[in-house]
Amino acid sequence: MTTLPLDNTFDDPTRRAPLVLNHDDFGSVTNTICGVNERPKPPRAWYIAFAISSTFLMVLGVLIGYLFWTGVGVWGNQNPAMWGFPIVNFVFWVGIGHAGTLISAILYLFRQKWRTAINRFAEAMTIFAVICAGMFPGIHVGRVWVSYWLFPIPNQMELWPQFRSPLLWDVFAVGTYFTVSLLFWYVGMIPDLATLRDRAKTKLKAISYGIFALGWRGSIRHWHRYERAYLLLAALATPLVLSVHSVVSFDFAVAQVPGWHTTIFPPYFVAGAIFSGFAMVMTLAIPARQWWGLKDFITLRHLETMNKIILVTGSMVGYAYIMEFFTAWYSGAMYESFAFVNRMFGQYAWAYWIMVTCNVIVPQLFWFKKARQSIPIMFGICLLVNVGMWFERFVIIVTSLSQDYLPANWDYFHPTWVDLTMLAGSFGLFLTLFLLFIRYLPVIAIAEVKAIMPAANPHAHDHDKEASA
Amino acid sequence: MPSVDQTAPRPRTGKTYWRSLEDFADTPEFREFMFREFPAGASEMLDSTQRREFLKIMGASLALAGMGISGCRRWPEEKIAPYASRPAGRLPGIPNSYATSMELGGVASGLLVTSYDGRPIKIEGNPEHPMNRGATDAWAQASVLELYDPDRSRHVMRNNQESSWDNFSSWAEAHFGAVREADGNGLCILSEATASPSVLDMKRRLLEAMPNAKWYEYEPLNNDNELAGSILAFGSPYRAQYHFDRAKIIVSLDSDFLHAHPAAVKYTRDFASGRRADDAPKTMNRLYVVESGYSLTGANADHRVAVRSGDIGAVAGHLAKMLSSSAANWVGSIDVAKPMLQQMADDLASHRGECLIVVGPRQPGEVHAIAHLLNEELGNVGRTVSYTARPDAKPQAASIKALAADIDAGEVDTLVILGGNPAYNAPADLDFASKLGSVGATIHVSSYEDETSKRCTWHIPRAHYLESWGDARAYDGTIGITQPLIEPLFGGRSPIELLAIINGDDVGAGYDIVRRSFGGVTGDADFERHWRRVLHDGFVADSAFAEQSPTVRSDEAETWIIALARRASQERPGLELVFTGDRSVYDGRFANNGWLQELPDPLTKLTWDNAVQLSPSAAENIGVETGDMVNVSLQGGSHVEAAVLVMPGQHAQSATLTLGYGRNGVGRIAEDAGFDFYQLRPSDSMGFVGGATIAKSSGSYEFALTQHHHALDTVGGKGTQDRLPTIFREANLDEYKEHPDFADHRVHVAHRLSLWDESNLDNADYKWAMSIDLTTCTGCSACVVACQAENNIPIVGKDQVKRGREMHWIRVDRYFSGSNPETPDSVAMQPVPCMHCENAACEEVCPVAATTHDRDGLNVMIYNRCIGTRYCSNNCPYKVRRFNFFDYQVREPVRETGLMHVKPSYYTRPQSDTHPLQQLQHNPEVTIRSRGVMEKCTYCIQRISAGKIKAKNEWVKAKPEDRSSRVTVPDGSVVPACAQACPAQAIVFGDLADPNSRVAKLHAHERTYEMLEELNPKPRTRYMAKLRNPAPSLAPAAPSSQGSAHG
Repeated sequence: MTTLPLDNTFDDPTRRAPLVLNHDDFGSVTNTICGVNERPKPPRAWYIAFAISSTFLMVLGVLIGYLFWTGVGVWGNQNPAMWGFPIVNFVFWVGIGHAGTLISAILYLFRQKWRTAINRFAEAMTIFAVICAGMFPGIHVGRVWVSYWLFPIPNQMELWPQFRSPLLWDVFAVGTYFTVSLLFWYVGMIPDLATLRDRAKTKLKAISYGIFALGWRGSIRHWHRYERAYLLLAALATPLVLSVHSVVSFDFAVAQVPGWHTTIFPPYFVAGAIFSGFAMVMTLAIPARQWWGLKDFITLRHLETMNKIILVTGSMVGYAYIMEFFTAWYSGAMYESFAFVNRMFGQYAWAYWIMVTCNVIVPQLFWFKKARQSIPIMFGICLLVNVGMWFERFVIIVTSLSQDYLPANWDYFHPTWVDLTMLAGSFGLFLTLFLLFIRYLPVIAIAEVKAIMPAANPHAHDHDKEASA
Repeated sequence: MPSVDQTAPRPRTGKTYWRSLEDFADTPEFREFMFREFPAGASEMLDSTQRREFLKIMGASLALAGMGISGCRRWPEEKIAPYASRPAGRLPGIPNSYATSMELGGVASGLLVTSYDGRPIKIEGNPEHPMNRGATDAWAQASVLELYDPDRSRHVMRNNQESSWDNFSSWAEAHFGAVREADGNGLCILSEATASPSVLDMKRRLLEAMPNAKWYEYEPLNNDNELAGSILAFGSPYRAQYHFDRAKIIVSLDSDFLHAHPAAVKYTRDFASGRRADDAPKTMNRLYVVESGYSLTGANADHRVAVRSGDIGAVAGHLAKMLSSSAANWVGSIDVAKPMLQQMADDLASHRGECLIVVGPRQPGEVHAIAHLLNEELGNVGRTVSYTARPDAKPQAASIKALAADIDAGEVDTLVILGGNPAYNAPADLDFASKLGSVGATIHVSSYEDETSKRCTWHIPRAHYLESWGDARAYDGTIGITQPLIEPLFGGRSPIELLAIINGDDVGAGYDIVRRSFGGVTGDADFERHWRRVLHDGFVADSAFAEQSPTVRSDEAETWIIALARRASQERPGLELVFTGDRSVYDGRFANNGWLQELPDPLTKLTWDNAVQLSPSAAENIGVETGDMVNVSLQGGSHVEAAVLVMPGQHAQSATLTLGYGRNGVGRIAEDAGFDFYQLRPSDSMGFVGGATIAKSSGSYEFALTQHHHALDTVGGKGTQDRLPTIFREANLDEYKEHPDFADHRVHVAHRLSLWDESNLDNADYKWAMSIDLTTCTGCSACVVACQAENNIPIVGKDQVKRGREMHWIRVDRYFSGSNPETPDSVAMQPVPCMHCENAACEEVCPVAATTHDRDGLNVMIYNRCIGTRYCSNNCPYKVRRFNFFDYQVREPVRETGLMHVKPSYYTRPQSDTHPLQQLQHNPEVTIRSRGVMEKCTYCIQRISAGKIKAKNEWVKAKPEDRSSRVTVPDGSVVPACAQACPAQAIVFGDLADPNSRVAKLHAHERTYEMLEELNPKPRTRYMAKLRNPAPSLAPAAPSSQGSAHG
């Protein structure tokens, strides 16, 4: 095998494209990936990024304190737009949190081997995004000190939550999703944690990793149990990928606000979530592979594949936008039709067109192979998709609420500085967690990557040779 | 326990023993040593006062320990007083009602005030009073807040320094003693307009004792022109009393008789009764309004024409030409379409004896005289209009002008100002404020330390009408009594008490003065009975002015027309400025009243400010939009910088300026609110003045509008016009006669399916429901303030209103119809409280079941359970839910502006001194809502409970054979605050379970519809469609009765 960089982006179907480049033995894979955690100092970029993101995280903390101390009026929420930035951010982050479990669970069940390079990464992103998402509804309520009433906690008054409320379904859906995603991520990480434990140079590290490695020794029995558990969790997580955002969409679809009350919402939200999740994976993966030298694992071919998914889901989202208009028009319902015409041409038209441009028009560039393989272009597009998907939630939530049934109630929503800073702060939280993850946990599933290397399957390698011969 | 003071020198009696040489010498050091023998602090305990310190320290340690153990929650510290001697007839916790009167602009309204444990908390109309009949306007409703206004003046001030009553008394005794010696030479009294018998009695006594004293009167919103018109027409002053209930055709020339009229409450009721066209033969009155800018009356007109106020005289002249033989010499042109004027004249001519022409107070006397003439010639006198004496027979502008002249001439040494605020609201050209400085001694009695007080030698805090004795006369002359419900909170005095000091009267207390003027001789048994009766009723029955029958001097009518024509020719060209009282703050006296400041103007929907109201085309010509600053200037130099509010229906050559804003330094609420247009108001034409220029100036201003004025954009504008026919259903009388069920056909509801099992409320004991008649509702917004007072609804401040966070549980939606904003076809006014839907959208989405249905079918809000997700509000299609974004109850409202700006000090700092005082106004029957919970209209559930308890008690007391099988609440015994206040009686509340209740019948009425019935909410609040009665020849094409909208 050659040690020169290899182009694995060819389209020749007769050749199997290698998913790991420049490594022909397991040892070097382990060395490279563990090296990220084991190097004494992270690259300067990590420090800069961590300084910035943790500053934003602290600002978020201060603002949450301010919010609790004074009241939710510090946001721009108003009558009629009783939900503003916090719920927009919630849906945005839940959407981001979709890609991880999709990559790990669904692609695992479909035996998409290329997922191994990014699944750890994406799952971590999911966990952190769901943390960001879960925070917003929690701090969003008016009396935060009793927000635990959302949970069905037995009490002496036999007061239960109101089970018809989609918000309650949300609590369960997001809660379940977070739990299963966390378990899935953690279970998948056990063999790699053991690797780190075994390679640890300090006692502290050995003990810390050792605790979380749960005594993994790599015996066949361990592997057998592990593979079973992983498969089961994948099967469990798969429906959740679809359910969580469907349930989130019920918050809107079940309400009778024109612009919310549509049956298209569950699939549309799921497609949008995968779309935004992949864009976020890309946004994180591109700099990470650059800075930590992971280009051999997260290859251009991986990125291109993800770009294709972004193109597909972006187009699905575009289709949903069109269908919404069609159903609104076809229903003949005055209020529905108005809600959609108003989105396009009303007072929030600017937000709508940002959304359409970023989510539907810009990803069409991915029809071109050049765009799919150009790092700067794909990075730019993914950033725009993130922006566009945030605006999608803004359009759905704020424009619909601002102009619903009675024109006397119509108003125009203005965010406050707290809204904007908290949005930035949530990115601070997300990135801080992510940077800590990169620093201390294996960013690529070492064990799984090894399994897809030619070295793991010498016979296949022979077949490959035969085929090319 | 007596304590031993060891430091006190001991009396040297008997033998003297000493402990040491130091003791013998009794040096201070030794005494200190003795005192300090015990540990620090211990000696202090022996002293009785210092032992308290010790107990305090012990208490504090206990409290600290308590905090450590039982958490750090701070409970408010309260003092309780045992109710050792209970006044007769008072049960703690049971509210009492007292009848009283409130005087505004010299005219009283009869009120019934609810007092809770000695605190007046709610004002209602006196149901027995001939003018009020239980209803009130927003000002009376809000006046209780003024009582508890922490900014009210608390101290006697001398030259703006805090002084005392004693100082004033001794000064006054000496000063007025000297004045009395001099027969009142140099003494001038400037009073507000008043018809109070006691004030008039005191005035008589004063002028008797001091014949050289002068008495002046000034009221900025006055009826000088009416008075002049009456003198022109009849030769002497008469007051016209209108009977709108008997009028079929009403022509209003610049008159806002439904709102800005002292008898507006009665006129609204009478007008409404003429609009109810449900019974055969289904007739209703027709209202023509000619005015320059929208008034509430104009908003309720069947035909409204925008004409410059200065040109309305021409309309009167033209009408006279068409209708009268004695004044047919009008030759000028007019600004009204011929067919409209012709129709108006035809209608008047064909309804002799049942038509009415009303003229507003801005119009010059000649117009009033012509109206008197026409009313007489049309046979209306004695039928739709009658005449009585008028107590306000003194022209106010002339009076203050004369006073100003006297001051200039140096004839005034002592000026006593009884109420009013002339330094602020006197005509601009008099420069009254600076004149005050040249008077030797000025005494001002007023509720606030206002512009006038600050320029006076003495400021005397005035007792609120709920704190003092007095009397007044209603518009029809009915004498009303004003009785205090509470001791003056800040020790104020009433004007009659001040007059007693000036007169050196031996009767000094308000109570005695009122009794004396009442003609009482103490001890007369019959008087006592009479007096008690009046105190109970609040007014003297049958004390209205006697009807008089003057005749119009029709032979002089032609001279009026000539005078009008001369006026028209002298009219300064260009834009005219029209001065009008503000619908919130009246003449400025309510500027510090938060409820009124936050009450959206019924038409502009503006809160916390006033504005230069310009028509869309005028604004376009000047190049301004709503919120742009302009410079309004008059020939002669006076000018004001103010912000523009573009107002549909405004005449393009006319700008409406509402008075009463721009007051600084009088209180926290009034601070920085709006613009002072008194600075532009000349003494010779206080109604309107021509020749003004409005030029764009730099900067912009943010208004807090509760409803966006125009369509937010073209899409929104079209959407509004598309859906309005289904939301606000209306028809012309002709269509109604033909299709009485037109309201049912404005929208087609394909199906009424519910996602959930519908709540089965069929077997409920009570089914509370409300009916709102859009035909009679004028949009006056008294209901909004009544609800605010009853339900402890906080004000939120301009900053929060701009964010759409006003808390009103009932609002009045206002829509303009038509394609041209310059001349809207009509105005729709729709009060919207909670609909109490049977299929309540809010209930389905609340995750914690904080809003549910109770057994009576009410949609109730459980504040304790609410966690504030606000989902309910999002899902409520009517958006009647209100959220406590902050702890509004304990915050001071701020005007702070800026989109991205928040003011931490506001959000975190509780009110200091204001809160405990304002708490006194709170209705103890209604929970105070904390930050973070949702709230909304409860149908005044506390009143429902009170009604049920009463009914149950009666049921229990009744003999078993006399009572029904279950407890029924008699229809009409539960009246929510909004329905109670409504002058038009448009709101009816009751129990649908009782098929004979009024509300059950109204709900079954063919005009009744459910707003947004397409959503199948089954609202318990239903509307009765609006009927209009345009002249068939002028009516726009009637909308098709088969609406095209679908559900």
